[in-house]
Amino acid sequence: MQKILRKRIFRDLKENQFRYLALALLVVFGMYIVIGLVGAADTVIIRTAERAKANRVEDGQFAVFVPLTEKEKAFLEEEGITLEEHFYLDYALTGKSIRPEEGRGAQDAGSAGGVVLRIFSRRKNIDLVQVDSGELPKKNGEILLERRFCEEQGILIGDKITFGDRKYTVSGIGTAPDYEAALQNFSDSAVDSGRFGIGFVTEEDYRQMRDASGSISSEEYTYAYLLNGRITHQELKEKLKGLEEDGRGGLPEGLSGLAKSNGRPGPVSPSKLTRFVPAGDNPRIGSAGNDKLVDRAAGLTAGVIVLILFAYVISVFTIHSIEREARVIGTLYAMGVKRKELLRHYLTLPVILTFIAGAVGTGLGYSRLGVNTYLGESYGYFSIPKVDVVFEPYLLIYGLVVPPLATALTNYLVIQKKLARAPLALIRGEQKGDRVHTIGLSGGFVRIFRIRQLLREKRTALTLFFGMFISLLIVMLSLDCYTLCSHVKTESARDTKFAYMYTYKYPEEEVPEGGEEAVGVTMKKEVMGYEFDVTLLGIHKENPYFDAPVEEGENRVLVSSAMAQKYGIKEGDILTLLDEEKDRYYAFRVDGTVTYSAGFLAFMDIDSMRELMGEGEGYYNIVFSDHVLDIDNGRLYSVLSKEGVEKSAAVFVEQMKDMVIMLLAVSALIFGVVMYLLMKVMTDRSALSISLFKVFGYRKKEIRKLYLNGNFLVAALSALVGIPLSKAVMDLLFPYMVSNIACGINLTFSWQTYAGIFLGVLVLYGMINGILMGRVNKILPAQALKMRE
Amino acid sequence: MYLEVKRLKKSYGEGGSYVEVLKGVDLSVEKGVMCVIQGASGSGKSTLLHCIGGLDEAGSGSVSVDGMEICGLTPEELSDYRRANLGFVFQFYNLVPNLTVKENIQVCEYLTGSPLDLGELLDTLGLAGHQDKFPPQLSGGQQQRCAIARALIKNPKLLLCDEPTGALDSHTSREILELLEEVNRKYGTTILIVTHNNAIKQMVDQVVYLKDGQVQKNYRNETKIPAAQLEDL
Repeated sequence: MQKILRKRIFRDLKENQFRYLALALLVVFGMYIVIGLVGAADTVIIRTAERAKANRVEDGQFAVFVPLTEKEKAFLEEEGITLEEHFYLDYALTGKSIRPEEGRGAQDAGSAGGVVLRIFSRRKNIDLVQVDSGELPKKNGEILLERRFCEEQGILIGDKITFGDRKYTVSGIGTAPDYEAALQNFSDSAVDSGRFGIGFVTEEDYRQMRDASGSISSEEYTYAYLLNGRITHQELKEKLKGLEEDGRGGLPEGLSGLAKSNGRPGPVSPSKLTRFVPAGDNPRIGSAGNDKLVDRAAGLTAGVIVLILFAYVISVFTIHSIEREARVIGTLYAMGVKRKELLRHYLTLPVILTFIAGAVGTGLGYSRLGVNTYLGESYGYFSIPKVDVVFEPYLLIYGLVVPPLATALTNYLVIQKKLARAPLALIRGEQKGDRVHTIGLSGGFVRIFRIRQLLREKRTALTLFFGMFISLLIVMLSLDCYTLCSHVKTESARDTKFAYMYTYKYPEEEVPEGGEEAVGVTMKKEVMGYEFDVTLLGIHKENPYFDAPVEEGENRVLVSSAMAQKYGIKEGDILTLLDEEKDRYYAFRVDGTVTYSAGFLAFMDIDSMRELMGEGEGYYNIVFSDHVLDIDNGRLYSVLSKEGVEKSAAVFVEQMKDMVIMLLAVSALIFGVVMYLLMKVMTDRSALSISLFKVFGYRKKEIRKLYLNGNFLVAALSALVGIPLSKAVMDLLFPYMVSNIACGINLTFSWQTYAGIFLGVLVLYGMINGILMGRVNKILPAQALKMRE
Repeated sequence: MYLEVKRLKKSYGEGGSYVEVLKGVDLSVEKGVMCVIQGASGSGKSTLLHCIGGLDEAGSGSVSVDGMEICGLTPEELSDYRRANLGFVFQFYNLVPNLTVKENIQVCEYLTGSPLDLGELLDTLGLAGHQDKFPPQLSGGQQQRCAIARALIKNPKLLLCDEPTGALDSHTSREILELLEEVNRKYGTTILIVTHNNAIKQMVDQVVYLKDGQVQKNYRNETKIPAAQLEDL
C-alpha cells in the first residue's frame, strides 16, 4: 500500500512545488549556516590545537624585572623545565615607516600612524613561528611579519619596512601560537591588527636593536616555558618568586641608574617576577579555538531550534492536508487501513524532503561556500595559519539526521493526534468540538467573525508567533552585537578623557610636568569561566581624567561602568580581586559606579592604595596627560593614547558589521517565508468559505476585512509580545556568547530601534498580505460547489 | 446466519440532548444476500450500518458477522475485522484525488492476501478505459464505480453501501445498482444497502424498514426484479 500511496507523494510535491521548495530552501539555508558555522568552529578548534602542539606552544610565560642570570636559568632548568627568552621591543611606526615596493606606491603607509610593531628574536624551541609564505629571516636586515598585520598594512614578501631607523626586507609572513590573538596588552579587549603586529628578526639584528635607541618602551624580559610534566605552574611560580631582585647586573646598560629612582624600582613586587601567566590564562593563546566553542554550541542548538520551527511549519501543511482529506482517510480506515500506515505515509514526504534538504545544506555547509566563508572570519581576526577543513563525523550525522529526525518527531506528535480520530468522525467531516464554538462573543458581525476566524486558526497563529519569535531572536542577536560594539565605540571615545596614559617600568622621582600621577596594579577576576585583567587604579579625587570621587580608605573602590556591567556589580557589593604576583586576594566594598566604558577599572584613593600596597609616599607608576610628555622611552612599559583607545573600540563595529547584516537578512528571510507559508495555509483553508462569501455578493475589500485583516492583529500582537520577549531572552543569553570578550555589556536599545523592528515586521506583513490578496482574488465563487466533492 | 444483530441499542448525547437512535434492533441476513435498509431521515439506518461496520460503538446488544461478535472489540481489533471482512461504499466517493483510478483501487488491494484480479474487476466495473485517469477527470458515476471497485478488490464477504446512488442521476444510479447486482451474483458478496430510494427494494432479496430506531418491517422480497427493470429511480 505504501508503494501506491508513495505515488501521490510525488504528485503532491509537484502540485505544491513552490511551497515545498520554499521550505526545502529554508532547511538548506539553515543547515548551510549551521554546518558552515560549526564546521568552521571544529576546524579552528582542532587544527589550531594541532598546530599549537606541532609548534611547541608554551605551557606558560613569565616576565621579570631584570633578566635571569645564567645561574638562575640553570637552577630552573634543573627542575626539568625548558626555558626560552622571548624578549621583545616595541616600535612605533610612523606613516613613513612602511614603504611598499615600487609599483605599489599607492599604499603609501599613511595609514600606519600609531602602528606598533613588536619585535622578537627568532624562536628555536618554544612558540615556533609557522611560516605561511616566504621564509624565516636568515640574514640580518630580514624580518618575518605576522600574517594579519601584513594583510591590514598591505605588506607583501619582499616589501621594505622601516622602524628604529633601520630598513628591513620582509622575508616571510607567518603566525606564532603565543600570539593567536595578537593583543598588544593582555588587558586589550580586541585585536586590532591595523595598529599592532609582531615580527621576528635574526638574533644578531635583535641584539643590535636592543643596544640602539628607537623603541617606544623598555625591553620586556619575558620567558616562555615548557613544564615537561616535571613541575606544576604553581611550583614554578614559587621558585620564581624566590629569586631575589638582586640581579641588577642584568639591566641594560644605562638603565641601572633609572631603576634606583622613585624610591623603588618599578612595579610593586618584592621579587624579580613581574608577571606569571600560564597558557590557560593567556588571552593570546588558544583564543581562536575558545572563541569557536561558543559558536559550536550556539550553532548546534540554534540549528535544532530552527529545524523544529521548520518541522512545525511543515506539520501545519500536513495537518491542512489531513483535514482536507479527512473523508478519504475515514473511508480508508473503514476499509481496514491502520492508523500507523497512514501516519507513515504522511510522515514520508516531510522526512524525505528535510533529509534531502538537510543533505544539500550539509554539502553546501562543508563546501568552499560554507566552512571556508566562516573560516574567513577567524582568518580575518585571529593570527592562525591557513588550515585544512576538518570533517567531523558527528557533524555529518547531525546534518543528515537532525533535519529528518526533528521533522519526524515534531510531525509525529502533531499528526498522530489528528489521525487518531474515529473513522466515522472523519467520514462525516466533523470538526473537533472545541471551545471555539462555545465562546460567547458580542459585537458586530465583522468583529465576531474575525475573532472566530482567529480562534479557528489558532494553531497557525501560534506557529506564526513561534516563527516570528525565532526570527526576532536572530534579529536581537544581530542588534545586540551591533549595540554592544556601537556602545563600546562611542562610550570608549566619550569616556577617555586623557590624551596619553604612560605606564612606567622605571618611574622618575618627580611626576613629569603636565602629568597626573596614578598607581596601577593589574589584578584578576573571573566571570563566566573567563579570567580578565582588572586594573586597580589609585587616583586623586580631583584628577581631571576620571569622574571618580574616590574616598580615603584601603577597602573602598568605585568600579568602572564596563566592569559593573560585565561582572554585574552594584553599589554595596564586596569586590574580590586576585593579585597573582603576590598570590593574594583583596576584598573591597563598592562605593558606586563611575561612567567609564574603556576598561575594567576599580578606582581608589591614591594614598590609600599606596598604603595598601606598601608603597612609600609619592610612589606612582602611571601618568595621565592631555598632551605628549617628554619621557624617556626606556622607562616605559607602554603608552596608551586616546586615539589608540578609540581605534581599538572601533574595531568591534568594523568586525561585526557584515555579521549583523547577514543575521538581519537571515531573520527577515526566515520570518518572510514562514509568515507567507502560514498565511497562505490560513487562506487556503478558508478558500471554500471565501468563495461562498463571493457567492453571497461580498466585495474584495469586505472579504479582506473578514479573512486577512485579522492576521494583521496576529502579526501585530505577535510582534508586540515577541519583540520584548526575544530581547529579554537574548539579553540573558548574549553575555555568555561574548563571555570571552573583555568589555562592558551595555545592550540597551533606543526606543527608535524597537519602533524600527516593529515597523519592519508590519512592512513585511504588508508585503505578504499584498501577495496573498492576489490569491484570494483568484478564488472563484463556483469553487464552493466544486470543493464539495 | 451470516449477519445477526440482536437487541442493538445506540444513543447519543446526555441530558436534554439525549437521543436514542437505535432502540433494540433485531436483524438477520443470510450469506450472499442483497439486503436494503430503508427508513426516513433519523430512523437510525445509517447508525445501524455503522454499528455493523464497526465504525460506531453499540450501546448494548450484539452484532455478529460470520460468527464473530464485534461489539466490545478494541479499535485495533475492529480495524482488523474491517480489513478482513468488509467493503464500504459511501454516497460521496471519498477517492484519493491525486491517485489514478487504478491506484485508488490498489490502495486496498494490499489489505488482503487474496485480492480479486484487478484487470477483471476493472472490466467488470467498466473502468478499464479510465484506469489511468484521476478522480477529478471522471463523472460522478465513474467515481462511484471506482469506489465500489476499491471496496471489492480485497474480496470482502460483506459490502456495506451507504446511499450509494444518493449523489447520482437516475441513469447512473441504475448503472451502479446493476453493477452491485452483478457483484453479488459473480462474487457471492453479501450486500447491505442503506438508501432513501424506495425503488431499490424491488431488486434485493431482503427488505428491512426502520422507524424511530426500531425494525418496523423485515421481509424477503419474493418478487425480486433485475436492476435494469427498475422504474422511478
